[in-house]
Amino acid sequence: MSVAAYAPAQQYDLLIINGHVIDPKNKIDAVLDVAVADGKIAKLATGIDSLQSKKIIDAKGLYVVPGLIDMHTHVFVGSKPGTFADGMYSVSADDFSFRSGVTTMVDAGTSGWQNFPLFKEQVIDHSQTRILAFLNIFGTGLSSGQAIKDISTINEDSTVAIMQRYRDLIVGSRIGHFDGSDWTPFNTALDAATKMNEPLFVECHLPQYSLRDQLKKMRPGDIITHSYEEITERLPVVDSSGKLHSFVLDAQQRGVLFDVGHGGAGFWFSQAVPAFQQGLAPNTFGTDLHRFSMNAGMKSILNIMSKYLNLGMSVNDVVTRASWNAAKALKHEELGNLSEGSVADIAILNLQHGSFGFVDAGGKRLSGDKKLEAELTIRAGKIVWDLNGLSAQPYQR
Amino acid sequence: MYKSATQQKHHCNTAVGYIKIKMMKRLLSVIVFVLLVVQSMRAQQYDLLLKGGHVIDPKNKIDAEMDVAVSAGKIAQVAKNINAKNAKQVIDVTGKYVTPGIIDMHVHAFNGADVDSYIANGLTSLPPDGFTFRAGVTTVVDAGSSGWRNFRQFKKQTIDKSQTRVLAFLNIVGTGMYGRFEEQDTSDMNPQQAAWMIKKLYPDIIVGIKSAHYWGDFTQVDKAVQAGNLANVPVIVDFGEHDPPNSIEALFMQHLRPGDIFTHTYSYGPKVRETVVDENQKVKPFIFKAQQRGIIFDVGHGGGAFSWRQAVPAVQQGFLPNVISTDLHSQSMNGGMKDMSNVMSKFLALGLSLNDVILRSTWNPAQVIKRPELGNLDVGAEADIAVFSIRKGDFGFLDIRNTVLKGTQKLETELTLRAGKVMWDLNGLAAQPWENELKK
Repeated sequence: MSVAAYAPAQQYDLLIINGHVIDPKNKIDAVLDVAVADGKIAKLATGIDSLQSKKIIDAKGLYVVPGLIDMHTHVFVGSKPGTFADGMYSVSADDFSFRSGVTTMVDAGTSGWQNFPLFKEQVIDHSQTRILAFLNIFGTGLSSGQAIKDISTINEDSTVAIMQRYRDLIVGSRIGHFDGSDWTPFNTALDAATKMNEPLFVECHLPQYSLRDQLKKMRPGDIITHSYEEITERLPVVDSSGKLHSFVLDAQQRGVLFDVGHGGAGFWFSQAVPAFQQGLAPNTFGTDLHRFSMNAGMKSILNIMSKYLNLGMSVNDVVTRASWNAAKALKHEELGNLSEGSVADIAILNLQHGSFGFVDAGGKRLSGDKKLEAELTIRAGKIVWDLNGLSAQPYQR
Repeated sequence: MYKSATQQKHHCNTAVGYIKIKMMKRLLSVIVFVLLVVQSMRAQQYDLLLKGGHVIDPKNKIDAEMDVAVSAGKIAQVAKNINAKNAKQVIDVTGKYVTPGIIDMHVHAFNGADVDSYIANGLTSLPPDGFTFRAGVTTVVDAGSSGWRNFRQFKKQTIDKSQTRVLAFLNIVGTGMYGRFEEQDTSDMNPQQAAWMIKKLYPDIIVGIKSAHYWGDFTQVDKAVQAGNLANVPVIVDFGEHDPPNSIEALFMQHLRPGDIFTHTYSYGPKVRETVVDENQKVKPFIFKAQQRGIIFDVGHGGGAFSWRQAVPAVQQGFLPNVISTDLHSQSMNGGMKDMSNVMSKFLALGLSLNDVILRSTWNPAQVIKRPELGNLDVGAEADIAVFSIRKGDFGFLDIRNTVLKGTQKLETELTLRAGKVMWDLNGLAAQPWENELKK
């Protein structure tokens, strides 16, 4: 028998050494090694023996965090012009996720009960990124992006039936883009969410519902997005004298969750900065990724996280909002953490120091000196992004 | 043919203009004087002024600090010290490089929802806008995702709906890249139909013919060249997947014409594709002869077609690609390729100068696809402009064989203009500080 047979077999597939691990769920914020086996987190500890692993990644000077969760995207991409559902206004998740450390994207109601099965077959099943979804209360999902008046596609029973059938993928119901004073759509979405014991996601373009009424109806755990928009059709959270409305802060204290939902028009420094200074920090960092936000001030979740770093949040705080906070909000507590046994969705980030600028929806700039960049992304133990070849062998000249 | 006619007309106009100038020199100087007076009175003749940057415009042999003025979507002036008062918006690009909008000559952009298809109307193709502007690219050329049977769908679905300028090589196979199996059907390779589609229907969009993924002999290439002759356009060849490989010397010297393009130049998959560098790390001698003959070598990085073990010795021995391109698709985007600025940075890491890298990503591809109006900063050209910064640090560049080459600089796209409009602004160079809003 050979000696090798007595040597310990390499029990880990991958070992990330020397990185600064931030795992908010487990209150870890320290230099630790992370071992991965069979697509799962196998061990977090200092000084894990590198002989035990088939592959080593040295993450010295880098942050090792749970794979990021983008709470707000539109990824029901298809070939139809002029529409989000099955259309070109949506984008492909994989095109944007891994290069910004994201391993899970949540679609914000681009599909409804009539077309969720198509969304699943056409996009979700073919995506490397994990895609979860809020189900639009309108049966056909999100079309042009204009607020609509027609409520004939709303059917609570069908909505709940689809939510039940695809329980592992659908994380709640969603209301948005409705131009009417009738509260039926909002209430139906809320009812469906309540029946499923899942959150309601409240999107933009509800011009005839007051912000106060929306927040009053929302339960703890329900999510409002585009928190810092400054457009005519919804009352901004900060008034014209620069003061945060107290009822908004009250809602957050009651447990209503505030998502960034940056998008093309959903994030304004003139709102976000005073709101942050007066105590309304976002709970999650949804990007509202779609065709019209991807190249604008939004760019990526890391860009949004970097905006908040430069507003004074700590790295731990921004990572918390982009991982564990989002997982809790979605009631998917198996995600957004590095607990042993969890699926090995991991992001390795570097923090650049320099002179940077960040743009909002109004085309205004915030200057800053910090910016996050995705070095390496792992999805279920597999390396899906490697910016600088950390996991690669040197080419020998 | 279409383009050369246009060029001819242009030359005639210039000649007539020259005679007129000679004849009416005096009158003209008076007119110029009057115009100058009028202009100085008229405020802000430019919409946009890029000030203080280092301009690299290989066509015009500019490699110096200059300002670039844009007006009505066109380049209005490239000169030192253009007066900022003459522009409605001034963007300070000091310390950055200002180049023509980058041309990515090899992408797959026929994105669609047919989950059974490979690239034509399928999920492997990508909508270009999410990858172009953030990498300084303003023009992409689709490399044969569609053929004559489905080009119109491609046009309607993607080309007409994209902010990026999308041009195309038409696949010699009628169904384009539906699947490897369909791409073998010689009865669906119709040079006449392909040529007519270019000449009669879409001379402005289709720039050439693609041959790819063929398992057999030279039949497909020859049919592509036949179509290229009929339409007077170049042919681009992906010469993989012949098992055993067909001779690339025969391809370059007997089958292709000067001006035709060989892509995936630095691919290493010797079982199905003959390599340009041999197993002793020497560039095969006929490669230089082929390039001298006028064969164009394209990078076409892709998910499986760029190896350091080919590219490093090739560049060291003086064999450079004529054109740098990505072969962007869903299987390359997250691998070693990433985006056009990353592929360009690899060539910086290989030792090429920035000027040389820009040349091979702008003016060279413009000439190869016979679109001399692109890839330059001529006054009057459409204002497609990229502004790059060069990051210094320790960077690694991955190839497709998971080996990494270290580098100390990396291109980052600060700003991209398409027809004078800001499409990408990484650090808000074109934006006002947000606090100004509170001072209203």
